[in-house]
Amino acid sequence: MSHTVLVCDDAIFMRTMISDILTQAGFDVVGEAETGTQAVEQYRALKPDLVTMDIVMPDMGGIDAVREIVKDDPEARILMCSAMGQQALVVEAIQAGAKDFVVKPFQPSRVLEAVQRVLG
Amino acid sequence: MDLSQYAELFLAESREHLTTINQLLLEWERDPEASEPVAGIFRAMHTMKGMAATMGYGQVADLTHRAENLLDILRRGETAPSEDVLELLFRSADALDQAIAASVAGRESELDLADILKAIDRSAKQLGAGMKRPEAARPSAPVMAAPAGAGRAVRVVLSPDSPLKGARGLLVLQRVEALGRVHAVEPPRAAFEGEGFTGTFAFRLETQASDEQLEREIRAAGDVERVEIGELEAVERPEERGRARHIRVDLRRLDALMNQIGELLTARGRLTDLSSRREDPELEDVAIRVSQLSGELQAEIVQARMTPVWQVFDRFPRLVRDLARKLGKQISFRVEGKEIELDRAILDEIGDPLVHLLRNAADHGIESSKERTAAGKPVEGVIELSASRERAAVAIRVRDDGKGIDRAGILAQAKERGLVDADVDELSDEMLLRLMSRANISTAEEVSDVSGRGVGIDAVAHAVRALGGGLEIESEVGKGTAFTLRLPTTLAIVRALITRVGEERYALPVTHVAETLDLGTVQVTRVDERDAMRLRDDVVPLVHLRRMVDIEGEGPPRSPVIVLQIGERRSGLVVDQLMGQQEIVVKSFAPPEGTLPIFSGATILGEGRPVLILDAGGLV
Repeated sequence: MSHTVLVCDDAIFMRTMISDILTQAGFDVVGEAETGTQAVEQYRALKPDLVTMDIVMPDMGGIDAVREIVKDDPEARILMCSAMGQQALVVEAIQAGAKDFVVKPFQPSRVLEAVQRVLG
Repeated sequence: MDLSQYAELFLAESREHLTTINQLLLEWERDPEASEPVAGIFRAMHTMKGMAATMGYGQVADLTHRAENLLDILRRGETAPSEDVLELLFRSADALDQAIAASVAGRESELDLADILKAIDRSAKQLGAGMKRPEAARPSAPVMAAPAGAGRAVRVVLSPDSPLKGARGLLVLQRVEALGRVHAVEPPRAAFEGEGFTGTFAFRLETQASDEQLEREIRAAGDVERVEIGELEAVERPEERGRARHIRVDLRRLDALMNQIGELLTARGRLTDLSSRREDPELEDVAIRVSQLSGELQAEIVQARMTPVWQVFDRFPRLVRDLARKLGKQISFRVEGKEIELDRAILDEIGDPLVHLLRNAADHGIESSKERTAAGKPVEGVIELSASRERAAVAIRVRDDGKGIDRAGILAQAKERGLVDADVDELSDEMLLRLMSRANISTAEEVSDVSGRGVGIDAVAHAVRALGGGLEIESEVGKGTAFTLRLPTTLAIVRALITRVGEERYALPVTHVAETLDLGTVQVTRVDERDAMRLRDDVVPLVHLRRMVDIEGEGPPRSPVIVLQIGERRSGLVVDQLMGQQEIVVKSFAPPEGTLPIFSGATILGEGRPVLILDAGGLV
């Protein structure tokens, strides 16, 4: 059975791109979220194997969403999606419990490498 | 502390940063979505700010500070810059260039940066509304020595292309902490997020895990290039590995060294002379050894003066871009052979001639988009600047795919002025160049703002000749024009033929010597009332050096003829005798009024005799 993924990003473009990369690699994208609040709700409902999480999102940001998710499920596997120059935020997310990160602009190979690392 | 001694270093290094900034701006303009250029520009601005502040150049520091602020907003904003913002950054780079030059020259008080500063601040305010700058940890000096203490010492080197190395390093530490107790992390964790973090860090780990397990766990964090476990030796900084180490040397020092080498070579010549006359084996041994050593020394110094052409070429992409904008044309600029090296002194002299040729190519060569479309050419014109090695010379070519030169127009002008016979109906490339090198012949129908009146090829030809080189042109109507500068690779020491006419000796650099013949064996004819000789299928004009330098009488009947060739042009130089070849040190030469235009400098031969150096360009 393929791994299930929840993709969280406020930009449709980014969600589409990440979903395409993962789907083509054989993953099953089971849900998408455009805010932190949605991400937390969807995680509870779907219990995906993996979450990709944008840092800057309206409503609730990605880092707060990581905190909420990890509070419920300490084993949650979350991959942060960041931009160059967001090191401080990425560090904060890792301290909050994110397992790895990728940096935009995304290269499919790098995204998949990171996903494999997170899934261990 | 006296800072004035650092001013030159500051200037040189700032110029490098400015070149980088301009290149990155061009890159950014081509691909506004890219994130690397802004990071690079930001870093360069940041570095210059620190340097300027240290030097006490307040205005430069202020300008770079505000530009850095704007760039910070841009790089954090993740949005592509607008055309206006890019234009503002280009203008800021120009203003910075001027501010740096003025500051170093002690004319900082004359600067007026108010307008550009206002523009930068306005732009930053617009873009940065609502953006907050998080505090970054202070970068600490990268500590690479193995930290002392209990447990195994571990050093991790992240891949150079790993983004956000600090965060990656933290992931490594988190994974390792699952295996045991981590301590003595160097640099300290707080420094991981600083700009100075290189991606190499070390720590001690108390654990039951094997080395293999440990390494596997560390590599699982991703982007790990190297893991070293065990007692670590002091490490060199990763960025210094395998890189040639450079120091800056004032060019005047190299010039002085070159002059001294010149003297040494002269003395060597005398010593060799002397030893061959004395027939003393011991003296001969010493003479040979001195000869070898000074030859090696000379080669080293010549090499030290060699500079890759990119040091001059790198500012041209920006120039061509600005020209294209100003002229409203679409021009793609290509550069090839950037790594080719020339003597620094030559390189310094070709910048202006190349600017001239590039301006001409953009202004008069490349047509407007409309004209190009009408002619069935791609809308985007191409200007190509290339450097290549050609035996002892370097060829630098500026080529455009524009409309070519209007030969008919130039021929008509030339006929009007009586420079060409009325019955000539076609101009060869060579004739074309000669006519264009006359200041009063112009190829531009209108005077334009960009390249001014006419083309000023005379100035280019003059500069290239002064360097002992030659200029050639190829042009085809509708297809484009190419100018080629052929230059010696080094100015200061050249191999020369020593010739004799009467009692006088002259040195002729071998750069343009194609072959030597015996006058007695060639067929001499008269063409246009001048002597010429048949050389295979061609007729080559003869130049009698004896007559040119006003020496009475005739030379021997079997005088040597030296065939000189510059591009397609040739001539045969008749002298009395060839005395052999030797290295000569060229001394700069300010010819007195009325000197024949056939000398390019002077040198001193082994026996201490001063000799004039013939300029092939003036003889062909």
